[in-house]
Amino acid sequence: MNLDEIIRDSLDGKEGAWNMLVNLFSKRIFNLAYQFAGSYQEAEDLTQDVFVKLYGALPKFDFGRNFSAWLLTLAKNHLIDEYRRTKWEKRNRDDFDDHLRIAPSGTDDPEAELLAAESRKILWEGLNRLPADIRMAVILKEIQGKKYEDVAEIMDVPVGTVKSRINRGRLQLARLLKDAKEKSHDL
Amino acid sequence: MICDRIQELLAAYTENDLSVGDKALVESHCIACAECAGLLAALKQADAVLASFPEIEPGPALIEKLSRIPEGKRRRRPILGFFLKPSLQPIFTAATIFLTLLSLYFFNPDRKAFDKAVSRQFHRGISRIERLYAKAGAVTDTLGAYANSVFVALKAINPLGQGED
Repeated sequence: MNLDEIIRDSLDGKEGAWNMLVNLFSKRIFNLAYQFAGSYQEAEDLTQDVFVKLYGALPKFDFGRNFSAWLLTLAKNHLIDEYRRTKWEKRNRDDFDDHLRIAPSGTDDPEAELLAAESRKILWEGLNRLPADIRMAVILKEIQGKKYEDVAEIMDVPVGTVKSRINRGRLQLARLLKDAKEKSHDL
Repeated sequence: MICDRIQELLAAYTENDLSVGDKALVESHCIACAECAGLLAALKQADAVLASFPEIEPGPALIEKLSRIPEGKRRRRPILGFFLKPSLQPIFTAATIFLTLLSLYFFNPDRKAFDKAVSRQFHRGISRIERLYAKAGAVTDTLGAYANSVFVALKAINPLGQGED
């Protein structure tokens, strides 16, 4: 069954079709929300909000469009709106928790693993210092591995703007990493 | 300062998105400048670390909640859906204004004085209408008299020359 059929069945209220959409996209939306908001609890609430919006907006979906990009745009709009409404930038992100520590470092060297974990922690917290639009673009491109063109479609801005936002964000994060490294050398 | 210019180019450099000239400029500068070389190394490291962030599985409780969204919507739709119809908004607005005016009247401490004033205005209005009606009758009579005299005058002139045979 292809995605268009699942969407049509879901619109017709067919048994199990909505659950298929949930199974296909909940992980992607939840991770986007978690990486953007930095809080597990917030991410759960935001994911629920996005799916409620999706259910309401599904009848308006244009089947000529890419559903995944359309849903991510819906999610991006909600996450940024909520961020601006609640001013999350004043709050801290979750501690660098077990969910992220399990990331494979690709090395057996415990010291290298420790350094990698420390870098992840710095960048995870550093994401909160980026403005909402830049943070979203960096997450989509650098963490979720999307192409510039896909990020531009999701963000609804030209590719050039996306590149400039991502480059600014990456540079800001790199400076954090460099400063932290220099501080640890000084100690 | 040259470092500012170079640092602006570093992100594009790691993406191999620079012209040959800019690329050479970055490379030659980074050989001589430890600050910019350090930032370039940090940029590469940041990219690698961001790409290694793992995906997290959403909890089963969340999936359960997401699966139940249509049930909740269906249950709410008959009542809320009706009241949220955009076409009903003007009616709700009119009803709100009417109820506000009604409450202003019923909860007015000087309601009796208000009633009297309204009654006075009402009767004044009625008598003004009666006067206007009487005036209109007089005007109609005058116009009728004018019409008759014009008709009589025209008959006397007999412009078509009828009855002269």
